[in-house]
Order: sequence, then C-alpha cells, then structure tokens
Amino acid sequence: MRHWKAGTVTLLIAAVVNGSAAIIASTPALAQDTVKLELWSRQDPSGPLRPGNVVKGAERLNKELAGEGSGKRAEVVVHESPAPGFDDDALQLLKVFGIGQGPDVFIVAHEWICAFQQEGFALKLDDYIAKDPQHFGTIFPSLWQSAKCPDGIYGVPQDAEARMFFYNKKLLRVAGYDNAFIDAMPARTLSGELTMDELIDIAKQVRGKTKAQYGILHRPNKGPDYIMVFQSYGNSFADRGTGKLLLEHDKLAAAFGWFDRGVKEGVIPANNTAMEFDALRKAFYTGNAAFWMYGIWDLGTYAFPTYGLPKDEAAFFADWGWIAAPAAKRGGQAGSLTHPIIYAVAAHAADPELAVRVLGHASAADLNTDHAVATTHLGIKPEQLNDPRYAAAWPLARATELLKITKFLPNNPQFGDLNGILYTALQGVETGRLSGPQAADFVIDEASASLKGVIVK
Amino acid sequence: MASINELMTERRGHAGSAVRRRTNFGIFLGPAIALTVLFFVIPVIIDIAVSFTDLDRTLRVSKFTTEQYQKVFQGDRRLPQVIGLTFIYVFSTLAIFNVTFGLVLALTTTSLNDMSGGFFRGVWLLPRMSPSVLYILLWLWVVNPSDVGLLNQFLIQVLGLTKPLDLMTTAPVALVIIANGFIGASMGMIIFTAAIRGIPEHLLHAAEVDGAGTLAKIRFVTLPALRWPISFVTIYQTLSLLVSFEYILLLTKGGPFYDTTVYALYVYRHAFASGQYGYGAALALFLIVIGIAVALLGWRFFDLGRLLQRPRIEVH
Repeated sequence: MRHWKAGTVTLLIAAVVNGSAAIIASTPALAQDTVKLELWSRQDPSGPLRPGNVVKGAERLNKELAGEGSGKRAEVVVHESPAPGFDDDALQLLKVFGIGQGPDVFIVAHEWICAFQQEGFALKLDDYIAKDPQHFGTIFPSLWQSAKCPDGIYGVPQDAEARMFFYNKKLLRVAGYDNAFIDAMPARTLSGELTMDELIDIAKQVRGKTKAQYGILHRPNKGPDYIMVFQSYGNSFADRGTGKLLLEHDKLAAAFGWFDRGVKEGVIPANNTAMEFDALRKAFYTGNAAFWMYGIWDLGTYAFPTYGLPKDEAAFFADWGWIAAPAAKRGGQAGSLTHPIIYAVAAHAADPELAVRVLGHASAADLNTDHAVATTHLGIKPEQLNDPRYAAAWPLARATELLKITKFLPNNPQFGDLNGILYTALQGVETGRLSGPQAADFVIDEASASLKGVIVK
Repeated sequence: MASINELMTERRGHAGSAVRRRTNFGIFLGPAIALTVLFFVIPVIIDIAVSFTDLDRTLRVSKFTTEQYQKVFQGDRRLPQVIGLTFIYVFSTLAIFNVTFGLVLALTTTSLNDMSGGFFRGVWLLPRMSPSVLYILLWLWVVNPSDVGLLNQFLIQVLGLTKPLDLMTTAPVALVIIANGFIGASMGMIIFTAAIRGIPEHLLHAAEVDGAGTLAKIRFVTLPALRWPISFVTIYQTLSLLVSFEYILLLTKGGPFYDTTVYALYVYRHAFASGQYGYGAALALFLIVIGIAVALLGWRFFDLGRLLQRPRIEVH
C-alpha cells in the first residue's frame, strides 16, 4: 500500500515537474510580445501591393527580430477603405483621426501629408529614418521632398510615376503627319519647341482628317494630371518663401484659356468632365482620340491587359507614344508631374519604432519592384534599376526619362481643397459657363473665401 | 352618505379618466413625439450649435465663432445662383410632375377599367420602388452622350439624327427635374387616385343627367373633391424637394459646374465633400428656417386648418 502510495506520489511529482518544464519551455512563446499594427489603405486596383508589401515587410521584420533574440513581433492588420480616390480617402482618415481613432500606419497621396502633420496626426520620421540607413538610405533624394512638411519628413516614399500626354501615332499618320514628325514629338516637346497650342493644332488636324471623335481627353474627376497644364503656364500654386497657397490670376487665366481654346477648336469634348473613366480610356485606346492626358501606370493597369496594346516595346512605340506636357511658349520648359504615394506613421502609433522598421522592410528593393513591375509605377531606389524584372519592364525605364523635368504637387495641407476648386472651374470652362479669366476669378474668389492664408497675385 | 359615495365614485371616475387620457396620449402620440424630438428637434439644436463653431474636416472644434454666418452673408458669391436654381427646381418639379402629372395619371388610370388602370399605376410606381442608384444608372444609360445611350440610339437610328445629344451638358436642369418628377408623380398619383375613388358615384351620375361631359365632370365634380389632397401633396412635396438631393448627386453630381447644385446639395458639398462642417451647418440652418416658413405659409395659404377641424356633426 505504502509502495503504491509512493508510486502515486512519484507519478504526481513527475507530472508536476513535466508540466512545469513544458510551461517553462513554452514561456518564450507566451512572453512573445505581438504588436498589432493597423494599416489604413485605400482599395486601389492600381496598387494592391502597397498594403501587401507592408504585410510582407512585417514577416521579414519578424524573422529579423527572432534572429536578434527579441520576443517582439509585428502583426499588420490591413483596413481597406472603399474611398473612390486618394482625396476622399484622406478626408475620411482625417475624420477618423479627429475622433481619436485611426490606424498605426497609413498610405496617403503625398500632397495630403502636411494636412496630417498640421493636425498632429502624423509622426515626424527624421530620427527614425536616420537610424535605419540600410532600408531608407538609398531612396532617391528627390522623392523625400514629396514627404516633407515645413519641420521635417513625415512619410516614406512608396512609389513614383510619370504623367504625360499619350498619343496615337496611327491617327496622326492618317491625319497627314509623317513618321519623322511623329517620332520627333517627344524630343521637340522636351526642347520646348512643341507647345501647348501646337498640341491643339495637331489634335484639330486629327479631328478634321480622321474619323476620331476626340482630340485630347483628360480625367473626369479631381486629380493631378490636368495640373500639368497649369504648371506649363507657370502656376506653382505654392509660395516658395512661405509655403502658402499662391494663386496668380494671369497664369491661371492662361491655363484655363488653353482648355477653353481646346473646347472651342473641337478637340476637347465639352462634356469631358461628365464622361466615365472607362469611356475615356476606351475612346483613346480604341483609336477614337489623338491624345490622353494620364499616367504611366495606365499601361500596366488597363492598356495592356484590357485594351490589348502591344506589350513589346518596339511594337508599342510603332503605333503609340507619349510626350511630356509641352511648354506654354516656344523655348519654354516642358514638364511632367509625379504623384508619389507615401507610407506614414500615426502620431499615436502603438509602437512607432516597430512601425517604421516594418516600413523599412516594406521598402525593400525587391518588394518595391514587385509593385513597380506589376502596376507600372516607378521604383524608389537606384538598385531597382539592376533588377532584371525592372529592366524588362520597358515603360518604367522609358518613363524615368521624364523624372528629369518632373514636378510635384505642393505639399500644402489645403492643396486638396484648392484642387477641388480648380476642377470645378475647369468644368465651368469646358462646358462654356466660364471664360479663362472668369475661371481665374472664380478660383480666386472661392479659394479666398474657403481657404486660409491664400496669397493672390 | 350616499351622496358622498356618489361623489367619490364620480371623482374616482374622473381621476380614472384623466389617467386614461394621459395613458392614451402617451400610447398614441408618444412615439410620434419621441421620433420628432429625436430626428428633428435634437438635430436642429446640434446644427445650431455646430454652426457657431469652426468644426472642420478633422471633426474638431477649436473655437466658437460667428464667422460661418459672416461667410454666408458676405463671402459666398455662389449662393444667389444656388437659391435661384433651387426655386426653379422645386417649382418646376412640383408644378409639372408632382401635382399636374400626378393628377393626369390619377384621372386617366381611374377612367380605365380596374386591371388596366392598376397596371399603368404599377408601371408609374416602378421608379419609386427602384433603388435610387439603380434608377439613376438607368437614366445614365438613357442619356449617355455617345451613340450607345438609349435616347441617342432612338434619335439616330429611328429619327435619323446625325450627332448624338448630350443632355447632361446642354439641358442638365431639365434632366434633374424630369428624373425627380417621374418619382414624385407617383405619390400624387396614389393620393389623387384614392381621393377620386372616394367621390360618391351618385354625384357623377347626377352630373351626367345634367348633361356634363367627361371634362365637365372633372372640372365641376372631381377637381373640387381633390382640393385637400392637392394642398397636402403640394406642401409635402415642396418640403421634400427642398431637402432632397440624392438623385441629383447621383445623376449630375450637381454639375456641370454649379448648374444643378440645389441648396441641399450645396450644403452637402460644403459639409461632407469639403469637410467644412461649421459652414455647412450654418447653411443648413437657413434650409430649416425656409422649410418651416414654407410649411407655415402653405398651411395658411391652403387653409389646412379647416381640413383638420372637428366635424360639425357629432355622431354618438
């Protein structure tokens, strides 16, 4: 009996010891500190890997942390916002932050970052970036400008792109232009020889001598592309000294005047702003329009997969091409616009250091190249140029040529609102409600009444 | 003693009656009062409070101010155009569709046999029964400015028009009036139909005996009987049109330019599209005041008090 009891006691002791050993053995797992990082990202077919790369970045960081012997782990929870555009998305996120909620990390169009900085919603990243040159050190210096607010850097550039006027060479040939003229257009534009008015003339000839219904088409909603025209006419929209919004009546009137002439010459449809995106794309890519003012990613996202434009470089450039935004006057400066999307960290983020490290990994050259080649966006690091996949994606290499003359939208917290006013005035001009000077008056009136600190010249 | 007991009984009866009246008041009017307070009085109070703040796109208030009202009276050059358009939109939709066309539909469908009348009323109810997004999607297809639009297919292929019409650019106001009117007409149609059905048949027979034709019967029998329904539909639909903008937002987005931006949509654009909540609230307050004024004026003009007065003959 005593023997049995001793056995039982032995078994019990063994069980307790084993159980304790198991608990002790599993202690590192239990002690592992998993930090949930919520990522706010707009549902966007032109950039599904923007959030995807952050998730992969967290996986890479977790391996690195395990190697360091750290118990900390990052888990990225993606919140996809259904906003139809980056402006709506930013407005929605400002509200979310305003009521004391919001994500730890967010993806935003660069021109909105200072709105978040101004309200104290975004984390200043200078120190974090300086601590991690391995991941952030080689990002193109020019791209950091897009993430800068007056007192420092508030975002990590995620991609860049180039905006241009695509053109249909077949239509130009039918309209009577020879190959020498057509092929020289990009170079003539860059040298300032081909002007905005000549663009209207070419489009007019296409309209007159072909069956094409339209000359020049542009996006039907608020966005960056048409801002290229304003930049060609000298509108920078930001005062260099103060960073405040700057509106110059004559330059605005000149830019609106170009759209006005375009409509009156029959090359820009009066109802461009009422048309659907799909209808506009279809019109251009099926040979019903001479020019399409848009961005390089349109090739990978729509032109190749949806409209069957040739993916081969030589075949593409045989019938299609693009030019920068021409200068307003002969000898002037041609332009392009890049509209970087950036990663930002919330001021209240659960673990800012961890969040920035995740973004560092998300910005790895190979991951960024995945995004770049899949959606025809430009990379953020020079080492991506050596990636064979990047080199094979010829639209990226060719569009990179435009980066030499590219400009950004101003990083002013109110630029999104100003752009809404510009777009409304543009609609007024194209539908015949406003002349160029009246549109300039309208923009100045509306902006002065609803925005703060606008400088008017 | 007996008299005291009777008195007590009477008092208890009165007391019971008072309790019952209060209970009935609570049961019958309580839900309506609660809903009115919840969805009208409280929002109005909140709107007034917000209109005296600088509530912006971050939903934060940093100061209490009257600057929103200064902007309304001094800085907003679009307001006169928006108010003028709102007047045109409300008056035209009401006059052409919600009352007149609703009345025509009611008169024509009640003059048909029950099955045909019911069928046509059902057809005209379809716009109201359809989800607004679906209804407007159909409109967008109908007025599509290219040759794939239904209207343009008809005009080009049947009538031989050479160029497609673009009503969204050339006649946007007419378009939003028609699109809203097709929905508004159905409500008038139902109310007027019910009222026409309520006219005692002997009056129509008597009119016939007196030699009245169809038009005379409508003029001298039907229309006088529709006075109250017409008054009600006019006031109700005026208020409804003043504050509704969803079909316009879906169809034209208020454009081109500001051509179809009615007052309620203008408020929405400022408050929700631009994040100027303080200014939007100030503008909305004027809409509330206008709505109340229109309701009171309509009440007075149509003498709706008479509709609700106690009947002179009491039936026990």
